[in-house]
Amino acid sequence: MIDRSPKPPEALMRAIAQDLRPVRPSPRPLYLALQMVPLALLVSSLILLAIGPRHDSGILGPLLTWGASAAQFLVAIVLIWIAAHESTPAGRLPRQAVYSAAFLASLIVVFVTLLTFSISPANEAVRLSPLHLVESHFSSRISPWIMGFACGIGSTLAGGILVLFFSWVFRNSLATRPTVAGALYGAGAGLAINAGWRIACPISTLWHSLGAHGAAIIATVILGALIGRSLGNRRLHVGARRS
Amino acid sequence: MIRYQGGSLEAFQEIYAQLAPGVRRYLSHLALGSEIADDLLQETFLQMHRSRAAYNPAYAVRAWAFGLARNVFLMNRRAARRWAAVHESREYLPEFPVLPEADRLGSQDEIRRCMADLSPDQVEALLLHHEWGFSFEEIAGMLGMSAAAARARASRGMADLRVALNSLQRARA
Repeated sequence: MIDRSPKPPEALMRAIAQDLRPVRPSPRPLYLALQMVPLALLVSSLILLAIGPRHDSGILGPLLTWGASAAQFLVAIVLIWIAAHESTPAGRLPRQAVYSAAFLASLIVVFVTLLTFSISPANEAVRLSPLHLVESHFSSRISPWIMGFACGIGSTLAGGILVLFFSWVFRNSLATRPTVAGALYGAGAGLAINAGWRIACPISTLWHSLGAHGAAIIATVILGALIGRSLGNRRLHVGARRS
Repeated sequence: MIRYQGGSLEAFQEIYAQLAPGVRRYLSHLALGSEIADDLLQETFLQMHRSRAAYNPAYAVRAWAFGLARNVFLMNRRAARRWAAVHESREYLPEFPVLPEADRLGSQDEIRRCMADLSPDQVEALLLHHEWGFSFEEIAGMLGMSAAAARARASRGMADLRVALNSLQRARA
């Protein structure tokens, strides 16, 4: 039995005294989410820097090309902010708000995809321009399956990098539901990457957008959930070993 | 807490002295009076130490510690399936603190008996607000609900408690 007086038990004091290095207080959830913006922006825009914007960006217009991606990126940051709240014992958001935000985020992705498909000349002959000749050449000659795999695997890998980074930031998370917290920052990573990839990807067909890009988002959600769960279990086991 | 984050052992002892009795009572309530409350108390402070960098000074230390204690309890319940063991082995009334607001409504034994019939969620909200003095905003942050929902849960709990006490007293009369 432990001494019930307000003094800490000897075993606990020994464990505490072993590691008393100073630590920096964690920032507020909003600042924590904002700290992730630069890296998320960099990783999500790598594809854009590599192959440039899609050939039909002129038809889509700046609002649907850049504005929709900016909105998706903002939603990604909101999801990370919610994950940061979920990881704070005294700062959790209402459960309904968490699930509603996740549902709304998926609706936004589907809506943007449908809108892009309806306006983009996806099923028409690709309008070639000198600047996008090479890109159009590839997109018209390479099998749609290969393009699908390239986008799916590429954005999953890019999202995976972000998920790993977010997991490192949330490694001391005290989430009651670590799987949910992990899924939330995984979804944030997936959406942030998709925000960049959808500007660069030359294919707007529904099966490609939802099948390849959507699958990549789902993959990052699952990856985040698994890592979150694993971190939660590790925390439990470390505590169990010590006690 | 900031001094503790800076590496002060004395600060940890002060935090423990201030928080441990209340956190232990809360854990004891969650564990329904089981002796694992002592283990969970130690575990809570170990987790607090491991994750002291995760604390943000914008949050009240007490609410943070109670929320952490709740997490530790839930994690242990999931991992060790102690919850089932606790429930199966219980044949006595849990040691609920008697709420000051309910004190005049009946004897301590009656209040405990009636609280045992309330839903665990209601009892938790009632105790967090009336016994440990947390605001509904703090309770909302700990339990993952809106402040209005926390208020409603506690109010319904108190109303149900009153009804149960009245019924009990009428039955005895």
